[in-house]
Amino acid sequence: MIPLEPHDMLAERVHDEESRQSFVNDFRIHLASKVFPGNFPSYYKRVLPTFVKEKGREPKDRHEVRRVMTHDPYYSFWSAMQRSSQEMIWDSVIDSVERQLPNLIDKAKQPGTKGSLTLDPNLETPKYHTAADIHLQPGAYHSDQIDGDVAAGAMYDWGTYIYSMGGLGTGNNALGQITHGFFKNEFPDKKLDRVLDMGCTIGGSVTYWAQQMPETEFHAIDVGAPVLRYGHARAEALGAAVHFSQQNAEKTNFEDESFDLITSHILLHETSRTAIQNIFDESYRLLKPGGIMMHMDLPQAHGQPPLEGFLFEWEIYNNNEHFFAQLRDMDMPELCRKAGFKDENIHPKAAGAFWMEDQTPYADDSFEFPITIGIK
Amino acid sequence: MPNDDQKKIKLPRTAKGKKPQYFSDPTVDKLLSMVLTLMGELSVTRDRLDTVERLIEKHGLFKVDDIEHYEIPDDVNQVRTERRSAYIARVLKCVQDELDALQDQGSGKNVEMDD
Repeated sequence: MIPLEPHDMLAERVHDEESRQSFVNDFRIHLASKVFPGNFPSYYKRVLPTFVKEKGREPKDRHEVRRVMTHDPYYSFWSAMQRSSQEMIWDSVIDSVERQLPNLIDKAKQPGTKGSLTLDPNLETPKYHTAADIHLQPGAYHSDQIDGDVAAGAMYDWGTYIYSMGGLGTGNNALGQITHGFFKNEFPDKKLDRVLDMGCTIGGSVTYWAQQMPETEFHAIDVGAPVLRYGHARAEALGAAVHFSQQNAEKTNFEDESFDLITSHILLHETSRTAIQNIFDESYRLLKPGGIMMHMDLPQAHGQPPLEGFLFEWEIYNNNEHFFAQLRDMDMPELCRKAGFKDENIHPKAAGAFWMEDQTPYADDSFEFPITIGIK
Repeated sequence: MPNDDQKKIKLPRTAKGKKPQYFSDPTVDKLLSMVLTLMGELSVTRDRLDTVERLIEKHGLFKVDDIEHYEIPDDVNQVRTERRSAYIARVLKCVQDELDALQDQGSGKNVEMDD
């Protein structure tokens, strides 16, 4: 595995820690490229003919496919291995973080010279975060195990990189590179004085933006204190000016009409049916007239064939991504309309790795992230 | 700089949330986790051995090629054969246990035991 580019907050790995992470990374590449594709012949040659024989028709949607495929032995074995590989990601990063935690906490306590960090100990962590640990990261993004904790952020940095099998790039910022490249192409003349990134976790995306646009004032919010402490220290280590604060994107303390651009990077599917509308409403409130909202998330169900739709939803049922099940069928332009955006200013678009400045070896050019755009 | 021992903390190792059951017998789920973990640990051990070999060569103790062409003396061969046999028996003990139980249970007329 190609390691992440080192920065001052990145947990160092001794021999076996590096080796264990490399194994998980390579194992996941093997699962994705050699084992996962077997689900297609398994379905078309075995599961589908049996279904047609019994019912006299093909499955009408991905839900029907799920009911039969989850009993298929090939699918079950792949699925069980995929789940284990996800657990193994975290197991492979915890040791190094735990070992260095006191030092990492000390480093994160240094005040920033570029940006800032504002925490709110009274902020209530929403239920969609506390109900289950998202992506199976033990302790999730919001739990402090010790004063000044940064463990969740330190684990997230290596863990998401291994999850993506290197696809997030050695700067762990591929999503930021995609939205940045997309924005420059879509809105070449838009001047940005003030930008907000919602649900930033360790700020991988917003920090990339801040590095590209040092004249712009960048703000980033998340509900998780340990990821914000880590993200702030990481941004400082990378020389980027970002103002991190612990806030819920559903209701922030920023003033009306105070941002030129509001972004989020695969935040929405980690929220809830109520929260997502609140987030769109809040985005509208915070935008200056002419300001742009750009929420990037994962593909929706519409247009996907039943088998592909079912396989795409593996993460929902096996990787604690519960709200994604609902988001898959939601009407994003309708959320925009309800928030106040006019029809002619709502643009459902998509962007992929082709917008990245640094191509990574595993970047999948064929995969596109939908981006919901609303202009106030 | 704080001493690591003074602030030692154990991070949680298990994610909150219901874990799906993949096989009709939950024992198979556990076995698969064990096998995959063993796969990983064996890979880690192989990497570590590789590092040892490379460092030995770098420091001029011997060449890695010497390993490839190592001629096994008879006594070493004997030791390895015994160790390998014991290792296989240890890993496959659960199979042997089942066979032993069957032997005890039945008339034993179809199976002859060495001991």
